[in-house]
Amino acid sequence: MQRMISVDKLARPEDHILMPAQRMRNARAEQGLAPGNAMPYEDDFLKSRMHGICAGEFQAMEAAGRTLYDFPDAPWEFQLDMARQVWDEARHAEIYMKLLEYVGSYYGEFPEGEVLWSCTQAEDPAARVAGINRGLEGLACDVFEQLIRIAQKMGDKIIERSVDYVLADEITHVRFGSRWMRQLTEGDPERFKRAQAFQNSIDDLFNFGGGRTTIEQAGHIKQRVNEKEIEIDSGITIAREARLLAGFTEEEIDRLVKGFGKSAAY
Amino acid sequence: MPDLGERGNVMGPQPIAQVVEPPAAMFAAAEQLLGALMRGDRASVEAMTAGQAREHMDQIANEIQPGKYDKFELIGRGRVAKHYFLKARLSGSGAAPFTIQFRLGEDDGKWTVREALNLTNRRSGWTK
Repeated sequence: MQRMISVDKLARPEDHILMPAQRMRNARAEQGLAPGNAMPYEDDFLKSRMHGICAGEFQAMEAAGRTLYDFPDAPWEFQLDMARQVWDEARHAEIYMKLLEYVGSYYGEFPEGEVLWSCTQAEDPAARVAGINRGLEGLACDVFEQLIRIAQKMGDKIIERSVDYVLADEITHVRFGSRWMRQLTEGDPERFKRAQAFQNSIDDLFNFGGGRTTIEQAGHIKQRVNEKEIEIDSGITIAREARLLAGFTEEEIDRLVKGFGKSAAY
Repeated sequence: MPDLGERGNVMGPQPIAQVVEPPAAMFAAAEQLLGALMRGDRASVEAMTAGQAREHMDQIANEIQPGKYDKFELIGRGRVAKHYFLKARLSGSGAAPFTIQFRLGEDDGKWTVREALNLTNRRSGWTK
């Protein structure tokens, strides 16, 4: 079996539409929408956000599986952590498929992007976990925390509790990344730097031009979600508390907030 | 997605919103486009294609021999707000299937192709 597979090798049902994120951005821009993801003030926000997360959970499951396969010489406990993560992500994918149905959508309603998979392309296990477990799973903490607050304002316990359940696992996954990035590079500062640089590139990629901010500093916007009008963040926020629980330092989080996209590994 | 039955008949959380049904006019436009491609009706194809997609659509039209295909099937669909990405397979007796992916968007009641991609012998529109 081939190692380090490219994005077009991932198995998907034939009826799914798969494409580079840039094509989706173009489609949004042509419709006069912000070019990134669906924003909280859009009608499709919940559906689109959950669809993106669901696709992300599938890719996270595949990424952890590939990490397990690609590095057969990694320590046994590393492999065990990756195997556990595959199982976690599989459950998350199922949870989000059910949440999609709950919000009136289904997996495949929207195209699936490739940007997350591009973050897996590191040939060193230390860099791989730095990028996936610290970069991407850290981003997941931000996105999930925000979704939980939106669900609380909606008074929707189904979304609030389901996403909180998933967030607990993501915190564990970031901890895997923090532990193995440190342990695998012990006594090898150059290798550590390379892993760090890979994580930085991912933090930069998802920094949205410095558009992420703290929960306290976030702008707010009124949005009608079904029968209720609620006030929600106008952009992506950084989940300080969840990231601290996951092993990020205050300094790393401050740097993310400032948009430097650079984080010293825990 | 497996058939989970009629949710309204079961206990537990019910969906809080409806699935968005694509407009019939979008399907009609797709049918019109694919029919024109199969017939080799370049004028109709061009009339339905926005300037930005002309080059790619021309390449696709060049690869489809008129009359070679007589059936099409929409095999995939994904929407971005009100634009629809569609994946279609053309087939005909003795001809290898031809797969294209295109995006339809509507302006002033007219659906046009905004981008097009030949997906034949490719698994997806993803980069490598």
